[in-house]
Amino acid sequence: MAVSDVTFAVEAGEIVGIFGPNGSGKTTLLSLISGALKPTSGSIVFKTRTSLVGLPPHRIAALGIAKTFQNPQLFEELTTFEHLSVAGHLMVKRELGWRRIHTLLSSRLSRADRMPRRAEQVLELCRLRGVRDALAADLSYGQEKMLGVAMALMCEPDVLLLDEPASGLGNVEVVELERVLRDLRGEGTTLCIIDHQVKFLAKLADRAISLYHGTKIADGPPGEVLSDPRVVKAYLGEGHAAGPAA
Amino acid sequence: MSRNVLAQCALALAAVALPVFVKNDVVLTILVFSFLASILAVSFNLIFGITGQLSMFHAAAFGIGAYATYIAMHDLAVSFWTASALAAAFVVMVSLVIGAICFRFRLKAFYFAVVTLAFAEMARLVVVNWYSVTNGTLGINLSQRPVLAVLGRSITFESTLSWYYLALLALFATILVCGRCVDSWMGRCFAAIRLNDELGDALGINIFRYKLLAFGIGNMLAAFAGALYAYFLGSIQPAYLSVGQSLAIIAMVLLGGQRRVAAPVVGAIFLTLLPHIIDLSAEMRAVVHGAILIFAILLLPKGIVGTVETWVRRRAA
Amino acid sequence: MPQIVLGQLLNGAIVGTLYGILALGVTLTFSITGIVNFALGAFMMTGAYGTWYLTSVHGVPYGLAVPLATLGTAVIGLVADRALFRFTRNDLINGLLVSIGLIGVFDNVTLMIWTSTPHTIDVPVGGSVAVFGVYLPRMKLIVCAVLAAVVGATYFALRHTWAGRAAHSYAQAPEAAELMGVRTEFLQSSVFVYSTALAGLGGALYASLYSIDPTIGGPFVLKAIEGAILAGIGSVLGALIGGIILGVTESVGALFLPLSFGNAYGLVFLVLILLFRPNGLFAGRR
Repeated sequence: MAVSDVTFAVEAGEIVGIFGPNGSGKTTLLSLISGALKPTSGSIVFKTRTSLVGLPPHRIAALGIAKTFQNPQLFEELTTFEHLSVAGHLMVKRELGWRRIHTLLSSRLSRADRMPRRAEQVLELCRLRGVRDALAADLSYGQEKMLGVAMALMCEPDVLLLDEPASGLGNVEVVELERVLRDLRGEGTTLCIIDHQVKFLAKLADRAISLYHGTKIADGPPGEVLSDPRVVKAYLGEGHAAGPAA
Repeated sequence: MSRNVLAQCALALAAVALPVFVKNDVVLTILVFSFLASILAVSFNLIFGITGQLSMFHAAAFGIGAYATYIAMHDLAVSFWTASALAAAFVVMVSLVIGAICFRFRLKAFYFAVVTLAFAEMARLVVVNWYSVTNGTLGINLSQRPVLAVLGRSITFESTLSWYYLALLALFATILVCGRCVDSWMGRCFAAIRLNDELGDALGINIFRYKLLAFGIGNMLAAFAGALYAYFLGSIQPAYLSVGQSLAIIAMVLLGGQRRVAAPVVGAIFLTLLPHIIDLSAEMRAVVHGAILIFAILLLPKGIVGTVETWVRRRAA
Repeated sequence: MPQIVLGQLLNGAIVGTLYGILALGVTLTFSITGIVNFALGAFMMTGAYGTWYLTSVHGVPYGLAVPLATLGTAVIGLVADRALFRFTRNDLINGLLVSIGLIGVFDNVTLMIWTSTPHTIDVPVGGSVAVFGVYLPRMKLIVCAVLAAVVGATYFALRHTWAGRAAHSYAQAPEAAELMGVRTEFLQSSVFVYSTALAGLGGALYASLYSIDPTIGGPFVLKAIEGAILAGIGSVLGALIGGIILGVTESVGALFLPLSFGNAYGLVFLVLILLFRPNGLFAGRR
């Protein structure tokens, strides 16, 4: 079982870092929260009231939880800006509701909605303005990852789940990513980040959670967790150094 | 983009003005058939090229539309327009049921094709066997003509010229409907489904709902095409629902192009005109459809319109 | 009453072996080349027409016509593979479309040459034999035995010959097999051609029992696919069993519902299976 005994809570506005060796269940955990996988038992509760278990991913996204993918998921054939337009679906839905059917009959309504302007803002925020009209296929790996974050932002999430956002990025890109994430937290978004790069997580996170073989073994401020003997054993015992992993 | 629009407007005007210069009844008849085929192709493309779902049910929607229109006119004594609207509504209902079954079960693209094929075959079997209603393999000969009451006068669609404009108008309407859908938020959802439905789901798009929408709208338009085709031709056969008919529609779309709403028109006109330029028997025509299908998949994956567009873009770069 | 049921059962089982040989072709093609070759029905029709052509027009003895027709079909299969299906490996949708296009070509070329008039050949082996008190034509039993033997031989070959084991290992783990030196393209072509040969053989034997016309392929391949799915794609013996189950269901069912709905059974079966076992299917591969 990929995830078998994990219990934790995330406060609004926190940045929580989740880390652990390969196979510890980190990605599975995010997939469970986002609805891509269904749990066989247990509960996932959002904002104290809403149970997420059994809801399809698009419903969970609509509730305010957005996710990025470890391997960047894109729409081949579309440009960066078009990606954001697609991702703006929830915005259009929230703003117009059923009246969006009207936009089929007259363009006037659609010209007024906020979504395209928000898309331009997000482009700016994620430093993707330069590749606005480039095809997804032509983006660098770092840009692809930022596009993933940008698309998640278009969903106007309360909670952003990030699956290894820094992996594969060069040092400069990691700094940019950090800046974006801090800006987001400043706006009040709650972040839940998985990564291998422990230093990156430790710098950014308010709280760290360590997973090992699908079980939570530590939970607390990053400094404490990283020096927790169980955590160190989990890493060294697996042959991983407690540092930037492959 | 605006060059594209200008070209389309020019073509549209040319089509409207054509009968002024071309009086030949045979040519006009062929053009009517090609407009109706275009409606089929464009509506199929909404499901296949735009949303990425290979449906083998399109010919069945076409045929059911035809038969249902006849039944409504015959049994309920309503006008052609009401009858075809009822037929289209019926086809939409059937599509919703089939679509709900297929999409709820999250059938992957290939299985969707096989299941829609099975449903289409079942529909054809029903038509062939329900002799009392459909006259089975003999088909139905139609004597009535659509009549439109407007401004105190009534127009009977009898002459080729009247059908030319009716079919052309229907084609414009189809392209307009599909175009408005594709250029809107709906089209973005369709593209997401086609390109990466898991990502679309994660971004808040209800994949099930939009697949159903594409399927429903596409089949509805096919039903209207069926009604028009039947009353223009003057007869309805179970062959309307055959796999061969689906094959022809797919060939038109693959040949014309899948990414632009109106691209399939090119394929439809070409394939409708072809047997008249080169004298082809019905069997030979089917062979050509098969061959074009294969040719288009292997050598011309973007279709004529797509390939021309890429070529033009490369020239400009 | 039970005698009739028994009779239907046995006849259904025999028809089922015909479905089974085609189902074997479907399952092999899918396991090794990653597509479902709908055109196998058309290849079957080709084998049938080839046999009829040789025996009725050229007087070739049936026993010789069958292998010749099978060989001829395999040659056409080879051409189709090198010219077309080589480019659709593992591409289910394009493979489907190309095979449907091919069906259109085959069916209509046959229609043009020989029209839709059904043709029959004289039954090479006459007389009937009593099986469990039911009289069955000898020819049907021969067909059944031949097909079962071929399926059995295929199974044996897959297990005990180098070529067969290579194919088997490729189906399980394509990259590993490639690394071990299995010549992938050759393997895929061979299996594709072999499955068309199986279809051709099925058609050749079909011609000895029933009248043939250009449309026989369509319903058959659909049932073959159903049979293959029923048993679990990737299973050789399962393909035969699946085909037999389908044949028996149809035949026995025909006692209760009008014959024209025979095709519908398989279709309903197919839809139900694909809806309720979408992941467990195609187990040998993905």
